[in-house]
Amino acid sequence: MANNFSETVQKIVNNYLDRLKSHLKGLPEPDRKELVKEVYSHIYESYAQDPSEDGVERIFNVLSRLGEPHEVVASRVSTSMVDMGKKRKLPFYILAGVMIGLFGLPLGVGVFSLFLGLAVTLFALVICYYAMAVSFVLGGWATMIVSIIRLFYQDFLLDYVQGFEKLFDYPTGEILTIASSLVLLAIGILMLWASKHILRGFKFLILLPFEKIKKAREHRK
Amino acid sequence: MENKIKQLRKGILELAILGSLENESLYGFSLIKKLASYQDINLTEGTIYPILSRLSKEGLVKSEWRESHQGPPRKYYSLSQAGQKAYQILSEEFKRLSGLVYQSSQPSPEIMDGKKEKTISIKKGSKNGQ
Repeated sequence: MANNFSETVQKIVNNYLDRLKSHLKGLPEPDRKELVKEVYSHIYESYAQDPSEDGVERIFNVLSRLGEPHEVVASRVSTSMVDMGKKRKLPFYILAGVMIGLFGLPLGVGVFSLFLGLAVTLFALVICYYAMAVSFVLGGWATMIVSIIRLFYQDFLLDYVQGFEKLFDYPTGEILTIASSLVLLAIGILMLWASKHILRGFKFLILLPFEKIKKAREHRK
Repeated sequence: MENKIKQLRKGILELAILGSLENESLYGFSLIKKLASYQDINLTEGTIYPILSRLSKEGLVKSEWRESHQGPPRKYYSLSQAGQKAYQILSEEFKRLSGLVYQSSQPSPEIMDGKKEKTISIKKGSKNGQ
């Protein structure tokens, strides 16, 4: 590109073209290059024909007649920028809409507390369940051991015996105790075995609303 | 008011650009000079470039780069066949509408045979078009 711009004028032109480029960021590369080239051509022609003597005055006349970069790119950028904006923002707006719909600001704190309360309650229930199952197992196991020992040593832990041993004569009381402790042990083991299924059920219940939200969001995408 | 002028200018400027390119191909700066030579239109020169790019996107105008005997190459625009057709239709329409604008500022004619009805029907048509 041959040109007869002075250094200062060239700087002013470059500055203008840089500002023009910054307005064209949304456009594909070939379109951008073409427009910059066209505007440069315009500036050259307009400069060559401006009657002013001083170069700087001339280039300012040229650029003020041409208008600001945003006027030169007006309609071109708007469409492609708007398209891009749409693509990026739509999922965000949907997500925001869902979140506001569910946890809308005025309800936010209340709904959050409700969820927190439910979660704590369920957690406590799970802890109680395990405590019960473990105590059944340990209690049943210990009682059984004690009763078996008592079958051979009748005086063993006599002061602490409270159950069937007081109601029935030896060895019926001891055998009944062993039987009941076996039942207790079985219940405890059964509870522990069932726990993984029950826990899965709880997990499902807790996660159900979140899954629904996720699915709804994916569906809308 | 400024906005209204802008809106009015946009459409008419587009039509004038099509008209300028009907019989010759021009590059941006020469097109501006041609438009300004008819009327002092106080044009922000840069605004014709978005219009030109829209017209070429619509296929009404075609363009090509040509070397200049001095300075950088110039991008010449000319009407495509679709552009020729569009210009004929649009300029006809514009003639009719500009006639309407001038007539409408005249005092309404006494009930005359058919002429007033015609004017009214055009007005209605343009309203429905909005």
